[in-house]
Amino acid sequence: MSGMDKRHKETIKKIRLIMKAICNDVLSGKKMPSFDITKIGYDNTVWSEEKRMLTVGTKTVHISPDTTKKIPTFSQYVVMSNAVRKLLDEQMESTIRGMYYATLSTVGDERNRQKFWTSQDASDDAIKAVELLTGVPREEFSVTSKPKGMISGPILLRVGGDLIDCNLGSRATSQLIPTNIMDVEIVDVKADFVMVVEKDTVLNNIRKSGFIQKYNAILMTGSGEPDRATRMMVKTLNEVWKKPVVVFADADPWGLGIALRYKIGSESLSYDSDRLVTPDAKVLGMMFSDIYEYNIPEVARLTASDEDLNRANDMKKKQWLKDKKWQKELNLFLKNKEKCELDAFFKHGFRYLAETYLPQKLRESGIL
Amino acid sequence: MASSRMVQLGSSSVIQTKSKAKISFSRKAESEFFVDNSALAGFTGERILYMAIRELIENSLDSCEAERILPKIAVSLKLIDPLNDLWAISCEDNGIGIRSDKVSVAVCSFLTSGKYVEQQQRGLFGVGLKMIAAFSTKDTDHPLRVWSKSAEETSEYYFELRTDIGTNKPIVLTRRDTKPKESTIRGKSGFRIEAVLRGRLSPITKNRIHDYISQTSIVNPYAVISFSTDDGMITFDRRTNIMPEPAKEVLPHPADMDLKTLKKAIGTHALQKTTIQGILCNSFQKLSFDKAKEIIRNAGIEAKQADKYSEHELIKIVNVCRQTKFQSPNVDHLSPIGERIFTVGMTTERTIFTKKENAISDDESQPKISTREMKPTLTGYSSRACIINNRPTIVECGLAYGGNLSYFKLYRFANKIPLLYDEGSDVAREVISEVELNKMGVSKKQVKEQFSGLESRSDRAIDLLPIHIFFHICSTKIPYKTAGKESIASEGELKKYMKACLSDLYRKVSKQIRHEMHLKDAENRLKLYKYYIPLIVDAISESIDVSAEDLTNSFLALVERHVKKGVSHPRSVMTNVENHAVPVERHDVRGQQKGSGSKETSVVTRSKKSLKMKRLDSTQEKIENFLTSSEELS
Repeated sequence: MSGMDKRHKETIKKIRLIMKAICNDVLSGKKMPSFDITKIGYDNTVWSEEKRMLTVGTKTVHISPDTTKKIPTFSQYVVMSNAVRKLLDEQMESTIRGMYYATLSTVGDERNRQKFWTSQDASDDAIKAVELLTGVPREEFSVTSKPKGMISGPILLRVGGDLIDCNLGSRATSQLIPTNIMDVEIVDVKADFVMVVEKDTVLNNIRKSGFIQKYNAILMTGSGEPDRATRMMVKTLNEVWKKPVVVFADADPWGLGIALRYKIGSESLSYDSDRLVTPDAKVLGMMFSDIYEYNIPEVARLTASDEDLNRANDMKKKQWLKDKKWQKELNLFLKNKEKCELDAFFKHGFRYLAETYLPQKLRESGIL
Repeated sequence: MASSRMVQLGSSSVIQTKSKAKISFSRKAESEFFVDNSALAGFTGERILYMAIRELIENSLDSCEAERILPKIAVSLKLIDPLNDLWAISCEDNGIGIRSDKVSVAVCSFLTSGKYVEQQQRGLFGVGLKMIAAFSTKDTDHPLRVWSKSAEETSEYYFELRTDIGTNKPIVLTRRDTKPKESTIRGKSGFRIEAVLRGRLSPITKNRIHDYISQTSIVNPYAVISFSTDDGMITFDRRTNIMPEPAKEVLPHPADMDLKTLKKAIGTHALQKTTIQGILCNSFQKLSFDKAKEIIRNAGIEAKQADKYSEHELIKIVNVCRQTKFQSPNVDHLSPIGERIFTVGMTTERTIFTKKENAISDDESQPKISTREMKPTLTGYSSRACIINNRPTIVECGLAYGGNLSYFKLYRFANKIPLLYDEGSDVAREVISEVELNKMGVSKKQVKEQFSGLESRSDRAIDLLPIHIFFHICSTKIPYKTAGKESIASEGELKKYMKACLSDLYRKVSKQIRHEMHLKDAENRLKLYKYYIPLIVDAISESIDVSAEDLTNSFLALVERHVKKGVSHPRSVMTNVENHAVPVERHDVRGQQKGSGSKETSVVTRSKKSLKMKRLDSTQEKIENFLTSSEELS
């Protein structure tokens, strides 16, 4: 805990230094206060062949109250920095929504009053900016989000002072992955590999079948788009505990996108890929070819939307999907225009997914 | 004196008797006709009080301008009997007055006027004042009270009058010579009238009256106009001593000749036994004796005594005249406002507003109305002279921008009379929407970005600008759209000239407007900074040890300099405005409508420079203070 305190103090110091820099600019009256931060988003995301992940580019944004449009942004970043500092000073923790409420205010006079934040999105962006300004990830600010990732299997965690065993014997429930990841410590991992699935419904089905006990696996899900805590947990298990990671998602461009979040990262968080991405994770399914190899009946297949097709066309051009296997899969999808959810295996019986499809896929890839 | 056209109209009225077989024809007096058809003169329903005020003010202004007297007019409108809707209306001026022997007919007899001449005047028909007299007689038992001190007489006369509506004759109840000590009119001459009228005053009509008076004051800045009501009293002071050149009476232009004017000319000269050529060159302008001979030759009619021609022969003369080229008509009979007076009017614009209910204290003595000064930061003026329907017409266009103006407003004037109703159908409205804003050097996008925050009634860019546009058309024959004389039709090439005039004006003010918009933009940005700086300062001073006050002050100084950086000072265009008469190009006019134009444009900017310099100095001082304080801090 004292290590944490020290890191908190360092963060506070960094924020104070930024404030000081602004102060000096203003008091000297020589120039508008300004700082450059890394630009976030698709146009500043580059593929790193060496790291095998999406990394942030070299573009920066000039943050300064020098134009009308930038005055509110600058103020928001300064106000958010102060809010983070307060949170750390008071040794509290907050969600991003909490930060939004803590900094809510209005600007203007009686005749012309506006909201300080147009929406929570603006406040979320400001939190990202504080991360970039200080170079400190938001977990160290004690700013978190609502937990939605789940974990189940032979793994022992310590959260704060409490030990949590995720090997829940009853097979009846899973453990939520805490989002205050700085307080979480992995004590022991007895599993042989980690299996990540797209949705919690699928995870529940697999858990109930006794898959964990039979194959000595850890099951995880991000419940759709994974949060930072889930991604970091996956990375730690792979890189620190040396456990192989496999990912299963629906056979559609959306599902493939989610699977790739774990493996190569995302554009909006590319600045933090080093802490979030697991390049060694293997995306095993569900392949578009699986629809036909495992005879998913036509009634359980879905017709691809235009949006799906556009997305698939975009994906085909991506460097990280250039190998023959993925090109073949995407071409198959674009040709047949059919997609399929993992849940479709239930058509073959409730145990088919956990007892037939998954073991077969794992054997093919050599995990089992 | 009576216009024959009007009388014919009156006598042709038909009264039907109960018997189906017989129709009996009878003659109606002018007074009876106008009382029955009061809408012809605009005296309808709720407009009665508005029209009465309007007619009285217009008569007073005409009376003063006739002899170049700087007008001083006091109007009052007070409710004297709420139960019966009776209002006392009075108007006093320092004009030339009316000779005592003419007062009774001038006030009471319809179609009696000293204004039936070819000359620009506000009133023309000899109906307005009579309408007030007739309505007062019709609806109340109060006499009309008149004090008149004519410039031609030494003493003041007092009258109590009523109209005999059945015969169009005045009934003189009292007539007396006021003793000098008891005289009501202070000046050398003047006229005062008091009447009681029955009418209702809706809030809308009340606003129209306010608009009428404030707009009249814009184009008559040389007049003192005071207006007192139950809500309080408003006085528009005189802002200039310059008066427009008075209009002169001129002969009709031959291109505008018709059978009626020709016969009237012959009739006037009937006793002189002159030739038709003589009558032509004596009765029409721009017509020499040689030209008259040429016309008669072209008409192919034999020479004989003027009053011996038949109508068949006379119409030939008229037709020839409509085909012949003549010199441009004289504009001496027109009296444009002129650049100097217009500019004074625009820069001193004040509008009357009624205070909000909650702002009015219970104290009854507190006035409920007040005025707001517009103080525009810049004004521009441009004018064109042209020929519309063979009548010389002068278009004057003014523009005021910035200051307390909050959004676009169009002001229309015809012969110095404000037009208040039917703006939507007026040609000026079309002109404004057809002349592109970018002639002013500003884009619609720019305007929307900068002004969309203000309350506005429409999405059109022009409506968002803090701009007032003034159109003044003067002519002896304004092409009104309706009998109500409230909107002008797009007759002939009038629209083309108005557009050219407005485009000119836009181009001339373009630089200033853009500069004003820059200033406004800087102001908006400064405001934005002032909104956000407290938040930034609070955040910083909570995090580190720094004086919030010092930081705020230096920040304000910093942004003020930052904002000013982008705004340059354009040379303010001060045009010499000494010559405010509008020149007309020499131009030949044919019978058909045809026009020529001349223009005169200029811009006057009220410089804000001195003020700005002062502000910068104090900023510099602040910065120096903070430099030292920041050294101490570090």
